[in-house]
Amino acid sequence: MNGQPASPTSLASAEEPTVFVVDDDASVRDALSNLFRSVGLRVAVFGSAHEFLQSKLPNVPSCLILDIRLPRLSGLDFQAELTKADIHIPIIFMTGHGDIPMTVRAMKAGAVDFLTKPFRDQDMLDAVTTAIERDRNSRDEAKVLSDLHALFAALTPRERQVMALVTAGLMNKQIAAEIGVAEITVKIHRGHIMRKMAAKSLPDLVRMAQMLGIGPGSAGSQT
Amino acid sequence: MANYLVLPMMRNLATKSWSAEQWLLGSIVLALGAAAGIWLVLGPAPAALPYLIGGALLTTSLVVAVVMMALVGRTQRRMEAVLHGRAKGEERAIAALRNSEAQWKEVFEHNPVMYFMVDATGTVLSVNTFGATQLGYTVDDLLGQSVLKVFAAEDQTLVQSNVAACLDKIGQTHSWEIRKVRKDGSLLWVRENAKAVRRLDNQLIVLIACEDITERKQAENALRQSQMYLAEAQRVSHTGSYGWHVGRREIIWSEETFRIFGLDKGPSVKFDTVMKRIHPDDRARVQQTLDRASRNLTDFEHAYRLLMPNGEVKYLHATSHAVTDALGGTEFVGAVTDVTARKEAESELHEAQTNLAHVTRVTALGELAASIAHEVNQPLSAVVTNAAACLRWLDREPPNVKEARGILGSIITDGNRAGEVIQRVRAMVNKTTDQKTPLDINQVIEEVVTLVQHELLSHRVSLLLELGPDLPLVVADRIQLQQVILNLIINGIEAMQSVTDGPRELVIRTRDEGARQIVVTVRDCGVGVATENADRLFDAFFTTKPSGMGMGLSICRSIVDAHGGRLSVTGDAGPGATFQFTLPLHQEESAG
Repeated sequence: MNGQPASPTSLASAEEPTVFVVDDDASVRDALSNLFRSVGLRVAVFGSAHEFLQSKLPNVPSCLILDIRLPRLSGLDFQAELTKADIHIPIIFMTGHGDIPMTVRAMKAGAVDFLTKPFRDQDMLDAVTTAIERDRNSRDEAKVLSDLHALFAALTPRERQVMALVTAGLMNKQIAAEIGVAEITVKIHRGHIMRKMAAKSLPDLVRMAQMLGIGPGSAGSQT
Repeated sequence: MANYLVLPMMRNLATKSWSAEQWLLGSIVLALGAAAGIWLVLGPAPAALPYLIGGALLTTSLVVAVVMMALVGRTQRRMEAVLHGRAKGEERAIAALRNSEAQWKEVFEHNPVMYFMVDATGTVLSVNTFGATQLGYTVDDLLGQSVLKVFAAEDQTLVQSNVAACLDKIGQTHSWEIRKVRKDGSLLWVRENAKAVRRLDNQLIVLIACEDITERKQAENALRQSQMYLAEAQRVSHTGSYGWHVGRREIIWSEETFRIFGLDKGPSVKFDTVMKRIHPDDRARVQQTLDRASRNLTDFEHAYRLLMPNGEVKYLHATSHAVTDALGGTEFVGAVTDVTARKEAESELHEAQTNLAHVTRVTALGELAASIAHEVNQPLSAVVTNAAACLRWLDREPPNVKEARGILGSIITDGNRAGEVIQRVRAMVNKTTDQKTPLDINQVIEEVVTLVQHELLSHRVSLLLELGPDLPLVVADRIQLQQVILNLIINGIEAMQSVTDGPRELVIRTRDEGARQIVVTVRDCGVGVATENADRLFDAFFTTKPSGMGMGLSICRSIVDAHGGRLSVTGDAGPGATFQFTLPLHQEESAG
């Protein structure tokens, strides 16, 4: 049935959003699978956290539905494990009974939602939709950032230094004095930077610098 | 008295010398002769004829006198001889009488019986030495005294009435037992035989012979006291005794046995009367036991009930010991105890234990509440989610009936699963009385395991079931058995809570180890059992857990005991503890 874990290869090739379900109870897994399939979502189900970690995850917008009481590795521990492994996937927790301390912990750790079994199907679908949307956004942001990083990486060390000072609000004259070059040279660097970073304007460049986390203090270390 | 004076004189006269009469007669003749001679010699000379005649007469009278003297003497000697003979006979008779009297006197004085002769007013006329001595008096002390002197003040009326009774019926013997008082004040018990007789002088006297029965009386008292103690002990302990002579079909009961059976006291009891009192349901079994006993003539014991006329039921326990009597017959001597009160206490205790078992079972289930809730909630949420999914499949254009049908199948399965969990919990919460049925132990264990599944998971305990295949059935109460297993599992889980550096493994094993029993073992690898606690572990209210009530194992043991098995613990083999209990096999199973 559809409840069986989908093969990693098929997931890897898919572009559509996918919902991952981790629950030790086969009935619950199957039921969730039925629900998501009925609204046309792709689903992959796992009996344990271990199974999930073993599988190769597709690079598509996705979310994870976790039973908070899992055998061996609890849902919360699993959440921490994923964070540690730098896997950022929106998590929706399910619990058998309302457990406020657990809920608080889960939400603090970045859970998207927390549903008490048995839940309303619409609540679950809404939570999933929100989670996937959030994942899609963060994936887009991550894409932009990684592009920026690539552009930034193409700058020469001097250009990076100048960019930091420019985005910190220093004037050309001040920059020239700061790094000990002629003002005209600073201007040439600025031109190169604007072009290489595909910045439309100085504020655009400042926003990029912020995203990259570049400041005047960090200019040196950026080289 | 005159005889006494005469007899010695007669004896002195017994001589061959002449008697006075002879002397007298002789003297007369001599006197006459002398007178005639003097007259013839000195007087005027008579004629020759008269002289001759006078001389002849004189001579003749002399001759006659001599003859007469001889005759008188002979007669007297004859008389003397007769008298002498009589005197001898009398002397012998008197000697014999004297002898006899002395003998009887001896008997009278020293026979170990006290003899009293009193007159109608009770004055002592005679008493024997033995009698006086026994009472610490001399004979003279008592003679002429009132006989009441030797009786206690409170007994004197009785003495008087007894003497009066004797006087009332002269010649008839009366006897009684009474106390007498010695001179020193000490008491002795006597048995008196008395009879009034009229003496030759027409005086009424009472002859009394009394025998010292103090020792017998003391023995009797001791016996009576011992019997009283025995009877009292029997009454207090509700234990009666009995003797049953098999050959004579004779049954003898103690007072308490009569009381237990609610029958009137009698010298012996009829076998049928006893059987009628025995509860109809037990009668055949008792009859069987007695039949076997009378055949084998060996000791036996049995328990049975009595059904009293008022409908009351008594529980008895009887123990009989076979004794061979002097004639070679066998008699059973035994004791029968009314154990009704004990039985009632036992059944009350049992009820209390049942209640307590129920409470601890509910408490244990309370501890498992989260686990049980989860166990129900899982299928329930699956049902809700599936139902929603099903609707969505049906709402599609066109509806996907195939998917919907498949999901409905799942819904049914999950619904049933939730129902089963609830039924299982409800069964455990129910206050059930013993319902022993043949059971598959493995199935019982699996049912419990479903309830604790989540508890195991949340405590990260892995459960290993090593259930022996094709085990014979055991006879047990399913719920009670589940309670025992549940308790042992929860204990195991709690014992392993402190284990952080190794696996938390709980092993449940069932085996048929022969000896007509199944062995169930629950082994954990937790903190184990301290040796000094091993003995107390099963005591009520003994607990090593901060929040424990200490009833769990105590109840487990009483449940297992009630099933004829045994619950024990071993903690010495490595870390952890192993709890093990046995259950006897179902009879038919073991026979087949």
